[in-house]
This record gives sequence, C-alpha cells and structure tokens, in this order.
Amino acid sequence: MSILRTRTAQATVVAVTAGALALTGCSSGSKSSDKPAGKSQKDALAQAKPVVMGTAQQSVGPAKEVPGSRKGGTVQVYQETDFSHLDPGQIYVSDGGLLSKLLYRGLTTYVEDDKGNQTVVGDLATDAGKSSDGGKTWTYTLKDGVKDQNGNVITSGDIRHSFERLYASFETDGPTYVQQWLSGEGTKYRKAYAGPFKGKHLPDSVLSTPDDKTVVFHFQKPHSDAPQAFAMAAYSVVPEKTDTKEKYDQAPVATGPYKISEYKSGKNLKLVRNPNWDPKTDPMRHQYVDGFNIDYNQDKATQTKTILADRAEAKNAIMFTGQVDATQLQKITTDKAVMKRTVQGYAPYVWQLNFNMDRVKDKRVRDAIALAIPANAAGHADGGAYGGDPATSLMSPTTPGYDKKLDPFNRAKKPNGDIAAAKKLIDEAGAKGKKLVYAYANTPVRTTQANLIINNLKKIGLDIQKKEIDAATWYEQMGKVKNGLDLYMTGWGQDWADGNTVFPPSFDGQQIQDGASNYSHTNDKHVNDEIARIQAITDAAERAKEYGKLSEYISTKINPAAPIYYTKVFQIAGSNVGGLRYSTVTSYTDPTAVYLKK
Amino acid sequence: MTSPIEIEGAETSSALDKDSAPQADAKEPKKLEGRSPGQLMWRRFKRDKTGVISAFIVLFFFLISALAPVIAKVYGKDPYTFYGQDDPTLLNEFNLPAGPNGGISPEHWFGIDPNYGRDVFSYLLYGMRTSLYTALLATIGIVIVGVLIGLLSGYFGGKIDYWLGRLTDFMLALPSQLFMVAVMPVVVTVFVAPDEETPVYIRFLAILGVMWLLTWMSLSRLVRAVTLSLREREFVEAAKVAGASPWRIIRKELLPNLITPIIVQGTYLLPSTILSVAFLSFVGVGYQDPTPDWGLMFATGANIYEQDPTYMFFPGVAMVVFFVAFNLLGDSVRDAFDPKTGR
Repeated sequence: MSILRTRTAQATVVAVTAGALALTGCSSGSKSSDKPAGKSQKDALAQAKPVVMGTAQQSVGPAKEVPGSRKGGTVQVYQETDFSHLDPGQIYVSDGGLLSKLLYRGLTTYVEDDKGNQTVVGDLATDAGKSSDGGKTWTYTLKDGVKDQNGNVITSGDIRHSFERLYASFETDGPTYVQQWLSGEGTKYRKAYAGPFKGKHLPDSVLSTPDDKTVVFHFQKPHSDAPQAFAMAAYSVVPEKTDTKEKYDQAPVATGPYKISEYKSGKNLKLVRNPNWDPKTDPMRHQYVDGFNIDYNQDKATQTKTILADRAEAKNAIMFTGQVDATQLQKITTDKAVMKRTVQGYAPYVWQLNFNMDRVKDKRVRDAIALAIPANAAGHADGGAYGGDPATSLMSPTTPGYDKKLDPFNRAKKPNGDIAAAKKLIDEAGAKGKKLVYAYANTPVRTTQANLIINNLKKIGLDIQKKEIDAATWYEQMGKVKNGLDLYMTGWGQDWADGNTVFPPSFDGQQIQDGASNYSHTNDKHVNDEIARIQAITDAAERAKEYGKLSEYISTKINPAAPIYYTKVFQIAGSNVGGLRYSTVTSYTDPTAVYLKK
Repeated sequence: MTSPIEIEGAETSSALDKDSAPQADAKEPKKLEGRSPGQLMWRRFKRDKTGVISAFIVLFFFLISALAPVIAKVYGKDPYTFYGQDDPTLLNEFNLPAGPNGGISPEHWFGIDPNYGRDVFSYLLYGMRTSLYTALLATIGIVIVGVLIGLLSGYFGGKIDYWLGRLTDFMLALPSQLFMVAVMPVVVTVFVAPDEETPVYIRFLAILGVMWLLTWMSLSRLVRAVTLSLREREFVEAAKVAGASPWRIIRKELLPNLITPIIVQGTYLLPSTILSVAFLSFVGVGYQDPTPDWGLMFATGANIYEQDPTYMFFPGVAMVVFFVAFNLLGDSVRDAFDPKTGR
C-alpha cells in the first residue's frame, strides 16, 4: 500500500501507464529458495519497448472475449481507503486510475495482448490520433453513437469542455501534461486561461472543434507521445451539460461499462451496469459482471486474510490496489491451489535514496553511500522477494531504454552493499564521521528499511542522524527545496512507457521549486540540455536509446540518488473469479476482464 | 488468632501455611522479646513460600537485566548487530528466520528476529533491561509525587486539599493511554533540533515524564485518606503541642505510618508501569528500533505470530512469569505488612 498512500503515487503513479512488461505466461513464485522468487526482471525487460500506435481497425469494438467468460454476479472489492477523487480531472493516483477503467472513457486507451504488449488505440476517437505539423497538431475524430450514462451523445464540445475544465482553479491534483503542452510550461497555463465556467473557451489556435465530431489540439512543441497522454484517466471525457464543477467529485457521470449506483463516502461504493454503454464502440472493456461492490477500510492484512479464507462473498473478491500482506506470503506461495488465484507483475516504480545535492556535494561520499546500500535487504523489507528486486540504475526495467548492464554500484555481485569499496571512498574523501541527516516516513516498512540502510552507512564510518517524518506529509516535506535533510527515499514510476515521464520530472534542474519532484535537486547543465534535446526527438525508439544514455550519464557522472529497488505487485483473488490477469497498463489486476465462474 | 478473612487469601497454597503459622507465632515467644513492625513483617514474609519464590524470581529478572551486557559478552552476541544481514542464509525470502523454530541454533539460543536477523536472546536481555529500569525509575517518581501530594492535601486540608483534590480529579479524568499516545511525539519533537536524531535519553525522559504525570493520582488519594485519619490521632496532636513544625510532623510522625500502604502500592504499581512502558513502545511512541525494548518485541511478534510463533514465545513467557511473580510478591508483601486486612 505504500505506493498508493504516498504522494508519489499522486505525483506519478497512475497506473494509466504502462509498464511494457511481459509478465503473463511465466510461472513465477517458485517455491524453492534457490530460484529467484516472484517476477524476474528479465520478463519486464523483454517488454520494455515503446507502446505501439494502433490503427483505426484496432480501435473498433467489441473487445476480444476472455476465454471461458460468462455474465452475471457481483464482484466484491476490498480497499484500504476511499478513492481520493472520483472527478477524472483530479485522478493521478493508481486507485482512481483503476476505477476510471470501469467508469470513464477518453480519446484513447490501451489494448493489451496476452503477453501484456500494449497498443494505444482510439477509445472515443476512431483511432489513436493523426499528427501533422511535425507532431505539433493532433486531430481526433469521434466515433458515432457513444453515449454517457444519461443517454446524451458525446460530441466534440464535450471533449473540449473536458480539457478546458482542467484549467479551473479547483482542478489541482491531476497531471498537467496536456495543459502545459497547450498553454505553456510550469504554472503558465493557469495564467493563460481560467477555465470554461466564465463562458470563455480556449482560442481556436489552441484547441478547436471544426465540427461536432472533430477535435484539433495545437501544441506549442511537437509531442509524439500525445496519444499516451490522452489515455490517462485525467483526460477522460466530462460531458458539458452535466458538469457540476466541484460537486462532480462526488457524483460523476459515467461513460464506461459501469456507473455509480450508490456512494457512501468513506464506507463503500457500488457500481452497476451502464445500459448506455455500447460494447461495439469499445476496443478494450468488457461488461461480464453485473456490478462491483467496493468496501473501504480493509487494510492489507485483512484483505489478504479474508480473500485467502475464501468464504461467502470473498470467493468473488478481487483486490484493486491492495497487495498481499508480507506476513502472509509464506502461506500463499507454498500452497499451489492458492497460487492459482494470485496475480503478479512488475510495477514501474523505482525506489531511490536521494542525496540532497545542495548539501551532499562530494561525489565520493555519494558514491560511497550508493555502494553501501543493502539494496536486496531493503527491497525484501517491502514484501520479501515478491516485493522488490535490487535496482541497478535509476531507470525502471519497465521504461524503454532501460539497460540491464548499467550497474555502477555493483548490485549484481553485491546486492547487500559493498562495504569495503565504500569505506575506501569515504577515507579518500576524508569524510569519516561526517554528519548526515537521514529522513524516513514513519511507516513500518520505511522504518525497517531505514534501520537496514543506516546500519550499513554506520559501518562505512558516517554519522547518520535518523529523522522520523509523518508519512502523511512525507512528499510535501521532501518537496521543499530547503528541506534541511541529506538523505531520503522516494519512489517514482512512469506515467506511460516513455522516459519523458521519468527524466524531466525527476532530474531537470529547471524544475526545481517547492513541490517539484526533482527531490535530489539535480541541476546539471548537460542533463538539462539533454532532457530538452531528447524531448524534442519524435521517434520513440530513438528517444528511448537517448534516455538510456542519459540514465548512464546521470548515474555515473552525477549520482544524485542511489537506486535501491524495483517494486513488484502481488495480489490475490477469490476462487470464483475468472479472467484474472495482470494489466501492464494499470500495474494491477485488470478489473475490466474479470468474470465470475458461477 | 487467625482472622477468618485471611484464609480467603488469593494464594490458596500458602493459606494453610499461614493458618498454622500465627499459632506457632503465639506459642514461640517464651522469652519476652521486643520486635519492631519491620521485623514482624520480615518473619511473616519468610514463612510465605509463594512470596519468597516470587521474590527470588523478581530478583532474578532484575539481576539478569542489570547484568545484560556481561551476559551478552560471555554469550558472544549483542542485540545491535544484524546477523541476518551479515549472513544471508539466516533469513529466507520472506525475511523470516530460515532455520526451524525461529532460527534457534547453538549460535542463537532463542533464534533470530525477522527482517534484521538480530539475536533474540541478547535482544531480550537488553529489552528487559530497558523496560524494567525505565519502569522502576518511573515508579519511584510516581510514588514520590503521589505521596507528597497526598500528604500535603491530607495534612493541611482546607484550600490546599481542595485545589490539590481538584487537580487530582482533573488528571484522573484524562484518558491516560490515549493521552500518552498523543503527547509523546510532541514531547519528543519539542526537545530535538530538526536535523538531529532523537537521542534515546530524550525518549527515556519523555516516557518517564509522561508516565509520572499520568499515574500518581491513585496513590495520592490513598495516602491522603490515610493521612486524614492519622492527623487526628493523639501522637500527632502531641507533636503539634510540642511545637513540631508541619514538615517535621509529616516526616517523623506521618510518613513512618504510611510506609505500609506506600510499599504495597509500589509493588502493585511497578508491574503495571512496565506494562504501560511496553504499551507505549508497542503502539510506536515509546522506544524505537534499534533500541532493544520488551514492548517492541511484542509489536514485532504480533505481526508475525502466525509465521514465526517462536519469536513471541520467549519474550512472552518471560513477561508472564515476571508478572505473575511480581503480583504474587505484591500480595505477599501486603499480607506480611498487614495480616488483618481483608482483600
């Protein structure tokens, strides 16, 4: 749950993305301890390639049937907390992202094949988009006969409204990619336009709707990954007539296969079939079950135990963003029958120990710390071997351009830290006894990781001051430029399978400001220039290659953060649930494909 | 001579002993020999087998706690080293001890703990040391404050009694455990610079302070009640007439008469204080890893009791034995001091 709770999640997560991971067929979770447990990195790596652009042919419905599927029944979902937002414009966290797959539709979406390969296709639009003007202009044509839950036909006006309302002052928590592309970087876009609720539209030179079926986006710079951005939950359609502004967060209008029938904030959420959803227009969603019954306030351990016990309605249960509790792993992984109802996958998050570059200026000290990190133990503290793999670099295996051979800190041979080499560096730097402040969020997992890491850092002769920080405000406090701390762990995951959603937010020096996600305060001219240059490259494969090179430069020449571990997902479902699969897009169990066996 | 109430005592095993004991006592003094109340108490206590055994157990616990560093040195392991990290074969892929029975081996007598792979035996010794001595100091503080306030309000009466009484009521009204949980983080952060680690002694002092602030009330009420009845007695009157100062009367006349309830209450208070200290660590506001602590062991054990029940076994058994022994000791001490009081 760590990921969902944190603001990384909010900052990144979103599952509306992509890990181009290949996870399905492999028989993981080997019980013998000499084999690596859980999903192996090789599986993720094999598929770390850019998303394929789909054709108009692939964008038509209905979606490919799930073998053995049947209709009927209600799926039970256990969740730890209420969804932070229901208004699509505010969704940037994986729980909301997952729910949005059932409720909302946007211009584009992803179709996954059996291996988890992703193709971006048109959802409301007839295809993934036509670009012109070197990638600056994107044109979408809407499908015929798509209606919202009230029976109103979705028009280009609704699409325009959905984007315009993201400029309104109450839309604060969603991603800002498209807004910035249209109207200027940073917070410039907010000054450029104040939202549609005062009667003004964005000028036609920015966003135009020549007719009822056509929408044209005019970006300031070329953006070849626009179709992936449009697939994010935040860019789902909000029908103009029924938009209730702030109140929309409580009672949104559905366009997907399900709609909300009952919502008790903080208690439960009930979804029922949306009769106005037409499977012929939808390339990826199914409507097998009658509805979803989502109950909140079930923590990780309760969820795991309830579903594991497999009684009554728990037989029909799936997890949304919950994960198997680490303490139950042994019981689950040693039981073949239970393992059949688990879902595993490689998540896109990289946990790293940031160095505050304003304070830890000696690269030898940074290298020494990176070398000494017990990456394996720290990863295992978050769910055993099923929770994470030691990270070799700051790029996730799910990001195109990832290079497995890039291992500047010798994680392959010494996954639990190379104390001798680190000590030598510290002695060279004359940093023995140097006082460094290590901050950690006060959750059990982070505390354990802090103890493990500090144990090693003390061995190499550093004087580590351990500082506990409230987990609820963790990312807020880390986001401050003058946070007064030296070492702190953060996790980042791509928004879609492209370095564009990893490097600019994390390592672009021009982004440094309070609340920005460049937590290490990396500000290197070469890196900044490279990021600007690579972002302008239109060919995705070329871009991936360049990001790979940049990743190497950052890790070896600057080393702003020590890579610690890549996260994995491990979920369990009830015995009556069929169609279980790991979605590489949302990095959780795919709720659109599940059905009940009886 | 035997009071029927005494036979109803909690320790039925000793009831028979006591039944016959006082009769022997009655026959014995052929030579007339003066005995102080202390000596009488000691004689009565020695005859109570349960009490003596309990006393030995309690003493044993305090002793091994005090000698924890020595024992750990002889044993060759310390509670701060992560053995599981130095030797990866000790922990399995779930971060639990790889060996059977929580990793019990000739190397690690009580096994190792999950995640870190620390030695449970030395950790338990050090953990008991932290808990017992924190609780001991806290209890001494509580007793001193409780007695002082009780005496003052009992002896002086009037306005002083009224205001101290209201203060006591007010403190009693605070839900103590909730209050501790709420106050501890505040206390800790107030005294620590933002870029410094919270030193262990700050946590220690905070626990001490919070405990004492919240648990002196019942003792002070008891002391006040006894003082109220004592201050009307002739010997106090006599002292007053003789011109003794209030301080002297409190010290020389009242306090010696209060020693019985104070010691008895003190022996009951200590185990409950140990529990409270452990509770604070258990809920995460007391001591923190890597400081070894009994309460932390239960916090860890509670998480993994299904997978690694052995881990909970030793600290659990140690705590149960210690508490039963201490409570029995408390009963015996009470019986010895005050054989006529019923329960």
